[in-house]
Amino acid sequence: MKIDAPVPGANLLADTRNYPWHRPPDITDYDEAVSYMISRISQEEQAELVYSLLQIDTTVTTVVSGLLMQSIAKGKIPIDLAILISGPVARYIEVIAQTNGYKYDMGTDTSDRVKITPTLLKMAMGIIEDDDEEEEMEATPEVVPAMPEGGLMGAPTDADKMTATDEEQASMLGMNADSEEPVEEENIDGMA
Amino acid sequence: MTFQDAVKKSIKQFMDGKMPKNLMEVSGGEVKYTPEYFDGFKKAMEEEGDAPEVEETTDED
Repeated sequence: MKIDAPVPGANLLADTRNYPWHRPPDITDYDEAVSYMISRISQEEQAELVYSLLQIDTTVTTVVSGLLMQSIAKGKIPIDLAILISGPVARYIEVIAQTNGYKYDMGTDTSDRVKITPTLLKMAMGIIEDDDEEEEMEATPEVVPAMPEGGLMGAPTDADKMTATDEEQASMLGMNADSEEPVEEENIDGMA
Repeated sequence: MTFQDAVKKSIKQFMDGKMPKNLMEVSGGEVKYTPEYFDGFKKAMEEEGDAPEVEETTDED
């Protein structure tokens, strides 16, 4: 068996500067961070991507969070500052979309939110697998077979009345007039 | 709360014209990118859009 796990204590010796987000961020000022994001979005390639995403019904919120996560991953801005500047960045995208006549959805309204499920995604992407069809077949109501009639273990039918007649019931309950009534014991000692 | 939820909340607050209170205190109220700034930016963009576009001339020699 090959063990491919870090040695205990390896984290204490690892060079954490390997990751940009482990180092102090390049930008810590609010205005500077917004300027950086606006300049990024204004780049031709990035602008094409952003407005193409808006055209395919991607919300502004999703676009902004994606852009901010890229900047966080590069070590440009810290996470808390990214959350603070998300408003101005979204507003900038909105203004540009409005002035250029692009359709957009801010994605801040949750009232008409449709819950995303694997099935919904498959339908949206036009992927229908054989397994799904089988599942649909299984989902159809099960046909219950008729109860077996007749035979020793068969369920009784209406013809085979299992109910005892009134006389039989009366005799079973000891209410039959012909049944033997218990005879009272005679008082042997003659005592009252 | 996920990162996306926090971003969504922050965007909503900004769109409602609210600025982060502590940030404004720390910066002494001297913040450039406020909701008012973007209102002005939008107006400027619209005015720019209404203006007749000047075709770029290129030297094709």
